[in-house]
Amino acid sequence: MRRADSVSHAAPPPPLRSEPPTGVQGYAASARRLCRRAPLPQHPRERSRESGACPTTLTFEQPRLDGSVKQTHRLEVIAEEDTETEQEPEQEPEQEPEQGPEQGPDPADDDLYDADECGRYGMWDKVGLGVELPTNEPYVLVAEKKGGTFGSGGEMALMGLPDEKEMSAPVSTFQRFSVESNESLRFEPYIPSDEEEPGQLRQQSGKTVYDEDVFEEEPRTGGTGGRGDSDPAGGGAAEAPADGDESEAADVFCTECMTPKTPLEPHKNHRVIQIPKAAMEIKDDLCAKMRKLEEQIAQMENFAGHLEEIFITVEENFGRQEQNLEQHYNDVIQTLTQRYDDRASGLEEEKKVKLQTLYTQLVDCGKTLDVSKELIEAAQEVHRNEDKLAFLQAVIPTIDRIEDFTKEELDLKLAATMEFENSAVDLSDVKQMMESINIVPAPSAPVINPQVPNSAGSTSVRVCWSLFSDDTVEYYELHYRPVLEDTTAEEPPPEESKVKVKETYRTVTDLLPNAQYEFWVTATNTTGISPPSEKAVYMTVPSPPVIKPRECASCPSAALIRWESGNTNPVDSYTVELSETDEETSDAITESIVAVPTCECLVQLQPGRRYCFSVRAVNIGGPSERSHPVTVHTTGTFFHLLEDTAHPCLSISEDGFTMFYGDEDIPISAMMFSDNTFAQCVAVLGELIPVRGRHYWEVEVEDHTEFRIGVAYQDTQRNGYLGGNNTSWCMRHVVTPSRHKYEFLHNGWTQDIRITINPHRIGVSLDYDTGKLSFFNAVLSQHLYTFDCHFLRYVHPCFALDHPGALTVHNGIEAPDYVHYA
Amino acid sequence: MWPQGVRRIKAAEASKAMALTQVSSNKCCGGFQKVFEHNSSELKCRMKFGIYLPPKAESSKCPVLYWLSGLTCTEQNFITKAGAQQAASEHGLIIVAPDTSPRGCNIEGEDESWDFGTGAGFYVNATDEPWKANYRMYAYVTEELPRLINAHFPADPEKMSISGHSMGGHGALICALKNPGKYKSVSAFAPICNPMQCAWGQKAFGGYLGSDKTAWEAYDATVLAGSYAGPQLDILIDQGRDDQFLSAGQLLPDNLIAACTEKKIPVVFRLQQGYDHSYFFIFSFINDHIKHHGKYLNA
Repeated sequence: MRRADSVSHAAPPPPLRSEPPTGVQGYAASARRLCRRAPLPQHPRERSRESGACPTTLTFEQPRLDGSVKQTHRLEVIAEEDTETEQEPEQEPEQEPEQGPEQGPDPADDDLYDADECGRYGMWDKVGLGVELPTNEPYVLVAEKKGGTFGSGGEMALMGLPDEKEMSAPVSTFQRFSVESNESLRFEPYIPSDEEEPGQLRQQSGKTVYDEDVFEEEPRTGGTGGRGDSDPAGGGAAEAPADGDESEAADVFCTECMTPKTPLEPHKNHRVIQIPKAAMEIKDDLCAKMRKLEEQIAQMENFAGHLEEIFITVEENFGRQEQNLEQHYNDVIQTLTQRYDDRASGLEEEKKVKLQTLYTQLVDCGKTLDVSKELIEAAQEVHRNEDKLAFLQAVIPTIDRIEDFTKEELDLKLAATMEFENSAVDLSDVKQMMESINIVPAPSAPVINPQVPNSAGSTSVRVCWSLFSDDTVEYYELHYRPVLEDTTAEEPPPEESKVKVKETYRTVTDLLPNAQYEFWVTATNTTGISPPSEKAVYMTVPSPPVIKPRECASCPSAALIRWESGNTNPVDSYTVELSETDEETSDAITESIVAVPTCECLVQLQPGRRYCFSVRAVNIGGPSERSHPVTVHTTGTFFHLLEDTAHPCLSISEDGFTMFYGDEDIPISAMMFSDNTFAQCVAVLGELIPVRGRHYWEVEVEDHTEFRIGVAYQDTQRNGYLGGNNTSWCMRHVVTPSRHKYEFLHNGWTQDIRITINPHRIGVSLDYDTGKLSFFNAVLSQHLYTFDCHFLRYVHPCFALDHPGALTVHNGIEAPDYVHYA
Repeated sequence: MWPQGVRRIKAAEASKAMALTQVSSNKCCGGFQKVFEHNSSELKCRMKFGIYLPPKAESSKCPVLYWLSGLTCTEQNFITKAGAQQAASEHGLIIVAPDTSPRGCNIEGEDESWDFGTGAGFYVNATDEPWKANYRMYAYVTEELPRLINAHFPADPEKMSISGHSMGGHGALICALKNPGKYKSVSAFAPICNPMQCAWGQKAFGGYLGSDKTAWEAYDATVLAGSYAGPQLDILIDQGRDDQFLSAGQLLPDNLIAACTEKKIPVVFRLQQGYDHSYFFIFSFINDHIKHHGKYLNA
């Protein structure tokens, strides 16, 4: 029932070709609504203001709030979409009887529906959009549904129409317009074009696109709840007005007037574009502006943060300075007081001494006067004495006494001066103190930091230290000297270098890689030099390792990378970095293997890829530069020959893959044998990656080359022949006068086998899992022989020439499919 | 679906002449080993053949390996003794094992000897009386039987290979050499490689084809190899070293090897130490042969 309904519902032609502007108005209205709603959630701002946060922070937040408002809008839209999607099918059937019979556009009817619907359900009132509401999400969905129904209904399929999938493609929104006109057969994606006559198709298609736009971007334009409620009553009819609205929407936008216009209105010479396009453009513009604002906000936030920091620093500095000042002034005042006290007491003392002296002198003076007076009295008495004799008798002693007395010179000099000594006062110390109020004391020893990981280069280290926060430092002197590990006591320590630094860090250059240096630092200011810091040992990073490509091996599932340290001193570890380099552009490291203790690393890989490997050496100072990279293809197994196993008669080409057994006889005495070289069989081993699984390689031989190729344990007997023991398996080619003989040898035994075509390119497939070693004529894809042997240990490819000749190993070849049928 | 079904019904009606009768059906290695009987238009008698249908055949078309048995054999020998079903199941191959000659044709002398007549069709189209009406085993195994199989079973008509033992090895080799490209691969166990040069072959060819030896050449693998021109073949041959017919000079593999070496036809010929001409020998190496065919049929 429903299916039939919806089919006929698809039939109604677009009633919608007239009055496009209504849709535009609706759009504008909803846009206004958005504008109105946007500033609504202001309360968070106020709230935060109350909370006492920095006002600047608040202003930063405001645009974000707006943004979040928009987001909620979008969310609502999405929710709406869902509900309407669900409702839509229910609405279809009811609609059908009304629309089905209609053969042409009937705007009047549509208008009627519009008014009717909106009046009845008050759907749009809330937003004040009235009938013009352009949201036609339900409509779009209906159309799509119809497309689907057509296909599944079978009628269209019988007509040879495109299948259901095509029908329900996005463009299917057009189909319903064209059922009677057979236009649905054309699935032309609509391309809005300015030149196009504002014809039917254009309007419709333009509208559809526009509607979808609205659907995605517009905030809610219709009351979902209202619609949902109305459903049981007659919700199906609600679809029709929606259709009508859609058709009446304006479909062009004049970029010069910046207004949506009908195409009929004259905008000659104006750039006119489709509404959706215009909306998109302006939206983009708006987005760009918002982005700009967001950037500014970010900048301002940063700046504010910075200011805050500075604010705190100023506070700190002030505190320090104030404390400093106070201390110094106290010192000076104390000193001066001391000085004053000293000097005042000195003066007192001096006064005392002076007065004492003067007093003594005065007393002495008085005594002398008394004596003089007494003598005068005695002389007068004698002089008055009439008795000459008595006078004479008495005068002599008196005269003696006077003479004695006068003999003593009178000391009339002042014993003490009236002036006080004005001794020069030495205030230089005070002066210095006064001066030193403005300089801080000599700094204390800075604290040198231990080396920060990953801070060093191969010839440089970054040394950091700190000072006590009270200290003021004009500059630092960074001292360093290499730490020699093997220094004996007698040798003079290596010369030290020093460098003046203003900052509390320094990148010291021109050092040796992977070497230890001892650093210490002193701080200096106008007052003086600090004691040296503790000594710290820093290390430069190692030189980059050197990958040894000839010793690397790979297979589809793994690679074995080997390298040389590149450093004389040991390093802590290595880091292997690998990246997939399918696109030449990507240089990103996709994987790192850290803390590799030795100079080799086996890495699991994905088959059929191309990887770029590089290695870094790491010590406490950090990682070295990357080594030169090597590229590994995981298409096939790749190995190199172990040239140190090669028989002395076997020479190996430059590229390492072709071996020659020359004609000339080398005297045995001239041959250099080691424990590892093959001594009997003119053979060499290849080094296969130690990974189980399947390996494949090929060997190219001449028609008459007498060879043995196969695999052997690494310790296979060097004085035996390959295949002649139980540690090797090989295919052997022998040229007899009558024929070419092929043997598949293990432990001296061979399968009796005849091969009619001499293989010139032999594929060797080694499968550890199934324990099979197979040989193929790679040119013919012909299976030659398979050894069933369960390898207990890893084996290596082996190659031997029984007679002078050459053979070439071909590596890194993807195993052909036919090896699975071996 | 509908028209196809109609077509199928029509096809079935049309081919009532090709009707098959199931003789037996046994589940085996996940699939079924069956025997069918039918009226052969080439041989003008009732013919049986064994067919192994691997599990894969239930859901998709599978390649077919035709197995030609040796002297005195019926369709039963291979299906009961060779143990090919396990490998066929794994590789998804149908194996069709026809009988070795027409039966019950009431031709005078057909049951007189074990190496001529019944059980010894030698995979030729007889040209001499009284054999020429019924003894058309070559046409039967290369034309009628494949047609029958392709019509009634989920067989991929583009992918067929052929193998056989002894006389059947001879048959497999000539079928492959005479029909370049028809068979993706060929293999043989102890085949009669050069029937013109051995007693069996001379008796059979003389009986079926007459005394004109040039007519024999059309059914001699060694001769055919010398003039082969077509897509590359990959021939796998296993031969027991203790095979009494090898030492009796009935098989003559060296002649074929020489011809193939000359004509650069790839052959791997394995002389298996200690093995004789029996199905124990076949059983021992049948897996290698199934793999050999699987490699080309499943490529």
